[in-house]
Amino acid sequence: MTKLTRRSFVASTAAAGAGLGLGLKPSFGQGAYPSRPIQMICPWGAGGGTDATARIVAALLEKDLGQPINVVNRTGGSGVVGHSAIATAQPDGYTLGIITVEIAMMHWQGLTALTPKDYTPLALMNEDPPGIQVKADSPYKTVKDLADAIKAAPAGKFKASGTGQGGIWHLALVGWLQAMKLPANHVAWVPSNGAAPAMQDLAAGGIDFTTCSVPEARAMIEAGKARSVALMAPERAAAFKDIPTLKEAMGIDFTTGAWRGFVGPKGLPPEMATKLTAALKKIYDSKEYKDFMGSRGFGTVWADAAGFAAFASKSDAQMGTAMKAAGLAKG
Amino acid sequence: MDALLLAANLIFQPHVLLVIVAASAFGMFVGAMPGLTATMATALLVPITFFMDPVPALGAIVAATTMAIFAGDIPAAMLRIPGTPASAAYTDESYAMSKKGELDLNMGVNLVFSVMGGLIGVAILILAAPALAEAAINFSSFEYFWLALLGLTCAVFMSSEQPLKGITSLLFGLAINTIGIDPTAGFPRFTFGSVELLQGISFIPAMIGMFALSELLRGAVTVDHQGAVVAQKIGNIFVGIWAVFKRYWFNFLRGSTIGVAIGALPGAGADIAAWISFAVSKRFSKTPEKFGTGHVEGIVDATSANNSALGAAWIPALVFGIPGDSITAIVIGVLYMKGMNPGPTVFLQNPQFIYAVFLIFILANLLMLPLGWAAIKASKQILRVPRNVLLPIILMFCVVGAYAMTNSPYGIIIMLVLGMIGWLMEEHGFPIAPAILGLVLGEMLEQNFMTSMIKADGSLMGFFERPIAATLGVVTVLIWGAMVWRSFKPKSGIIPGLDSPGT
Amino acid sequence: MRANDAICGIVLILLAAVMIALAATLPEFPGQKYGPALFPRVLASGLILCGGLLVWRGITTRETGSRWVEWSPWTRDRWRLGSFALMLAMLLLYILAAETIGFILLGVFFLLGLFLWFRVRPLPAVIIAIVATLTIHWFFATMLRVPLPRGWLNTVL
Repeated sequence: MTKLTRRSFVASTAAAGAGLGLGLKPSFGQGAYPSRPIQMICPWGAGGGTDATARIVAALLEKDLGQPINVVNRTGGSGVVGHSAIATAQPDGYTLGIITVEIAMMHWQGLTALTPKDYTPLALMNEDPPGIQVKADSPYKTVKDLADAIKAAPAGKFKASGTGQGGIWHLALVGWLQAMKLPANHVAWVPSNGAAPAMQDLAAGGIDFTTCSVPEARAMIEAGKARSVALMAPERAAAFKDIPTLKEAMGIDFTTGAWRGFVGPKGLPPEMATKLTAALKKIYDSKEYKDFMGSRGFGTVWADAAGFAAFASKSDAQMGTAMKAAGLAKG
Repeated sequence: MDALLLAANLIFQPHVLLVIVAASAFGMFVGAMPGLTATMATALLVPITFFMDPVPALGAIVAATTMAIFAGDIPAAMLRIPGTPASAAYTDESYAMSKKGELDLNMGVNLVFSVMGGLIGVAILILAAPALAEAAINFSSFEYFWLALLGLTCAVFMSSEQPLKGITSLLFGLAINTIGIDPTAGFPRFTFGSVELLQGISFIPAMIGMFALSELLRGAVTVDHQGAVVAQKIGNIFVGIWAVFKRYWFNFLRGSTIGVAIGALPGAGADIAAWISFAVSKRFSKTPEKFGTGHVEGIVDATSANNSALGAAWIPALVFGIPGDSITAIVIGVLYMKGMNPGPTVFLQNPQFIYAVFLIFILANLLMLPLGWAAIKASKQILRVPRNVLLPIILMFCVVGAYAMTNSPYGIIIMLVLGMIGWLMEEHGFPIAPAILGLVLGEMLEQNFMTSMIKADGSLMGFFERPIAATLGVVTVLIWGAMVWRSFKPKSGIIPGLDSPGT
Repeated sequence: MRANDAICGIVLILLAAVMIALAATLPEFPGQKYGPALFPRVLASGLILCGGLLVWRGITTRETGSRWVEWSPWTRDRWRLGSFALMLAMLLLYILAAETIGFILLGVFFLLGLFLWFRVRPLPAVIIAIVATLTIHWFFATMLRVPLPRGWLNTVL
């Protein structure tokens, strides 16, 4: 609190000066970047995983750069609004943002024209693979049991959920079904407003399984209301060692994941981008970041600007294929 | 007992108490500002709590949100601007009381019953958290659909002088709520290619527009008259509270209970609790005709309900990590961050932290009495400002508040457009509250209806297959049926005026 | 201003008709007979029903000789009409210009304009406009970190 009030005081004095018409000289470029507060746009609501990641990184970045970093939630439109706000901001280094896997998906649905290429990549800092969760007292003990039951059942008998229609966890389901040589709509997708309501619906017995990430399902698992039977990742997660991967359990090599990375608007000056990437690397290596992500069960991965760009375009292509197969892509 | 002592020991430290008082003052400010909600107060506290110990971190959030929900009542009564959505249900009633010269009584009632409602919420949180959470978790989309539909009947109860216009207003609210990405298929509806419209009609700017801007527009054309809210002499806000309590103690208990029940349901929080308890109050009142004229009865119910819901929302959050409302959605993140992973085990592993949260809730509610009193005292100075100075400043607050919700001019556009519509509606005798209710419940209704349809493969029988859903469904159908039947039965006296012209 | 219920009803029916027409372009869920268009259609049908009842009521209860639209007395007073219009105009100006000019400069102008129109004396008007704008800015932008537009003062704040 004390920090906040001191900053308030300084800023209000500055504001008072400005209001009186003092110091109107064009002072851009004065001193090193950043010389004033930075806005960090988050396309998802306060309280979610993306918001939490943005806020921890902003808090650490603030310490490193010595300027306030304000996390601004621009929510709605399944992420379109916030992603557009980042892309259309001035590339002056004072508006940054966190982008999520949805940027590689929305344009296939025709929701926006934006793709990952419309940003200046800074760093990829997190990826979470989907898991497959069933109710705690479900008859399916392993993912193989579940898969066999799905194959034997008529199309549409099984219901799954985890996010909205055409969301990342929906695509995870589609990918898994296709890897089993089943049509994309063999399991009916029940769109939900995020993973938490889907997990609640699972516990209430409204659906058969969810394909959201394990951290999102964690509280319910720990409460003994749900079980995770598989992870769609190349290897087991550090925080959830006893959940087998799909490959181990079924021999199916299908992996995907929801990722989060930091970007600026396209055309960010290279010297600013380099400075920010370096600062983000420091944060990524910090104990605070690792502890925070670990406590939430979030996976951490690192890719610098070039690596992130390559990763994003690969993700973009993968999503495009999956969405076309699921009949979710437009045109 | 050991854990309780340990918890007390964690709290009664000078710096922890200081954090609680500072966060309370902060919450009081945020809650009283239009457009800034208790949720936003929590989100703003999160970066600060990163660097705090678990107990002060949670204490700050508990204290700030407790104050914010009450503080929203202050501008609602004085200026007809609900400070937070939880005050929207009884904003008109409170404002009508102020116009009658009963601002002191209104503020006293809001403060005292908020404190008591809050304490009931905590008491139940302490006594029954695991059992209640177990019940709440059995709600699937079928139950939520009926619940939302039941909630919509409130609109009719609340506008019984003009049921046709009330229902029209409700449908209008639901209709504008369909703008944006649809909640099930993710398909843009009525957006005309606009990125801003994709986010839909944000509820808070809409509320500021329909309540506050429409009132300001009326004020602007009478700015030289003696004000609608006349400067009232500052009296003792606690006078007359005991009489209200003796008369309406049952309303207080009923409101608090409804608040707890709704708060404990994941996804439904203080704002919905206030609406439903207000409508229930009117429905079962001995003098329903007094509602709308500045009658204290419904306010007792609703102001108790929204504060009791606040504590109850922690029940599913602590036990299952499922947010009871948007505030606890953020709290869950903080709990994880502090190594207190929500779940039944948190009561076993870290009982001292849980007891500390409970104690802070009690402390914050008690602290609300003096702080709330001071806030009311300070806010009253506003009413001494001449109207021609006050009006533009309030307008500016509305602008900034609407902007703060979307962080873009889009919020102000919503406020302007819906403010104009709200003004026109009131000129024509359409009540505004049902439209707001439609905005609050619209998404919950549609989302749960569509997902239930998918789950039941399009069969309407699916809505009656689960026991709780069937019960809720039958009750809802009966209530709606009775209302339709009564409104067509001539001169039943229960819901008069379907065929009388507007006033 | 108050129009006859029948006019309100007609407006609602038109609105609902537009809604139904626009909803016709929305796709259904794959393999289902319903989709995003279902809910708007139900609501629009409800609005048409209510609109119809309003029209019927408006016509049957209308007293002969009463006007279809009644104007409130204040609409005949130029200054009051101006107050009403100025409030809306200021909001519109703020929406259009805030990002360019910035909150502080535009806020002072916004308040000053309204104060002067509402006949606050000039000196207090100037002082209050500046103090109020800066207070609001301090509270929202600095304390609560709402990104109020900086506009022309971008580089000095």
